[in-house]
Amino acid sequence: MSSTRRGVGLNAFSNAAISSEQYARHGQQLRSNHAEALANQLSVFQAALHNFSLTHAKDIRSNPNFRAEFARMCNAIGVDPLAGSNVKDIRGAGGGAGGVWAKMLGSSVNDFYFELAVRVVEVCRETRGENGGMIAVSDVQKRVAKGRSGLVGGGMDATEDDLLRAIESLQPLGGMFKVQVLGGCKFIRSVPKELNPDQAKVLEVIQILGHVTVSMLQANLDWERARAITVIDDLVADSLVWIDSQAEEPEFWSPGSMHEGG
Amino acid sequence: MAATSPEPSLSAFSTAAYTPSTTAYTPSTTTQATSSSTSTFNFPTYTSFPPFYTLQPNLTTRARQLELWSTLVTSYCAHNRIFRLSLSSLPTDLFNNTHIHRSLKPADIRTVLDHMSKPESGPRIDWVPSTTKGEQSSSCYVYWKTIGEWADALYGWVDDTGQKGAVLTVYELREGDAVRSKDWRDMDEGMLRKVLNALVKRGKAQIFGQEDNAGVKFF
Repeated sequence: MSSTRRGVGLNAFSNAAISSEQYARHGQQLRSNHAEALANQLSVFQAALHNFSLTHAKDIRSNPNFRAEFARMCNAIGVDPLAGSNVKDIRGAGGGAGGVWAKMLGSSVNDFYFELAVRVVEVCRETRGENGGMIAVSDVQKRVAKGRSGLVGGGMDATEDDLLRAIESLQPLGGMFKVQVLGGCKFIRSVPKELNPDQAKVLEVIQILGHVTVSMLQANLDWERARAITVIDDLVADSLVWIDSQAEEPEFWSPGSMHEGG
Repeated sequence: MAATSPEPSLSAFSTAAYTPSTTAYTPSTTTQATSSSTSTFNFPTYTSFPPFYTLQPNLTTRARQLELWSTLVTSYCAHNRIFRLSLSSLPTDLFNNTHIHRSLKPADIRTVLDHMSKPESGPRIDWVPSTTKGEQSSSCYVYWKTIGEWADALYGWVDDTGQKGAVLTVYELREGDAVRSKDWRDMDEGMLRKVLNALVKRGKAQIFGQEDNAGVKFF
């Protein structure tokens, strides 16, 4: 740097100009070196990741801990393991990033989540008559792990995280499956009809207490009787609750506890 | 739904969440027509769900409820080897759960059985025609195996034991030493007749004589 200190006057000006050009060129050189090194590193990494996912495809499918770690790693480097599966153009630098990952990770990861999504849809369909289309995620998890009735094996060991990811992938189906939180519990809603705030509130209360009566709603939510009855009637009409008429006052239960422990 | 006067105080509000019993419900008394099996019937969890004993007004929910009752009745009868249910003397733990003080009303029991008697349900039960004209039936056969399946089993045994051509009495088929280990032993006579008639129709058997002295020859 001492060279810039000398040269006062016209000489100094041209020196500075030449130096900055030199620096600019040097900087550019560094950048391209770095870029090249990075590109090399990246392609080595890509190849390694691809091989990794191929050799461990079985583990990714069958081991939820492994899968969770794998997903965590992907998220850490800013990549969604499912991204790009729908992308048609996987070439090109622009929107091709996702597709490149999908290629590297192999079809095993995608297959797992798509199969899981199919199972989720099946479970929702099978239980709709019983629960009106609202089923707890934990419930779905148990049923998916059990496998299809009548068939030996084939149960999928999925974490809640996996299930939520699988449901996300169903979005292209037009929003038929949504996750809703009631009383701290996550539910999957598979019917198009949305719950109005009153209905959601009552379901939440039932979720916490197991069942409600009209009196309980009046007393604790400070609702008029008519309002409570209207909401309850709606929930019954949508087969979201079951009625117990052998109690002192009719009780309304969530079907979620019907098969617990079984 | 008559209204009881609401109690506004929060202390009346139960905050205990309903936790269904996870242990198998064991009945205190059993009243079966036939000898009971040695192991206790494992009641599914939904038999501890109070609304299960109320006929659901929503038809979609009701359809599911009837399905569950159908499965319960069939597996209960299979486990306890009950071939015939009589409405006047039903097993005490089938349509009741004393732990939760709930029971299916007689009219609703009939609804369940009617549902099970439909062809699309199997049928899983068959009403025995009432002896009094115009009166509703008060008992039914339970087909935890269908008549066809029983016919196959019976004929298979006859064939395996080389008894084709021999004449066997209905008594022997029901209670004989040779059928001690068979599923159909002590089968209700009326039902056994149906099974034998099915075999007759198939050309696999012929029945001689009447009532108690009836004999059957298998081909």
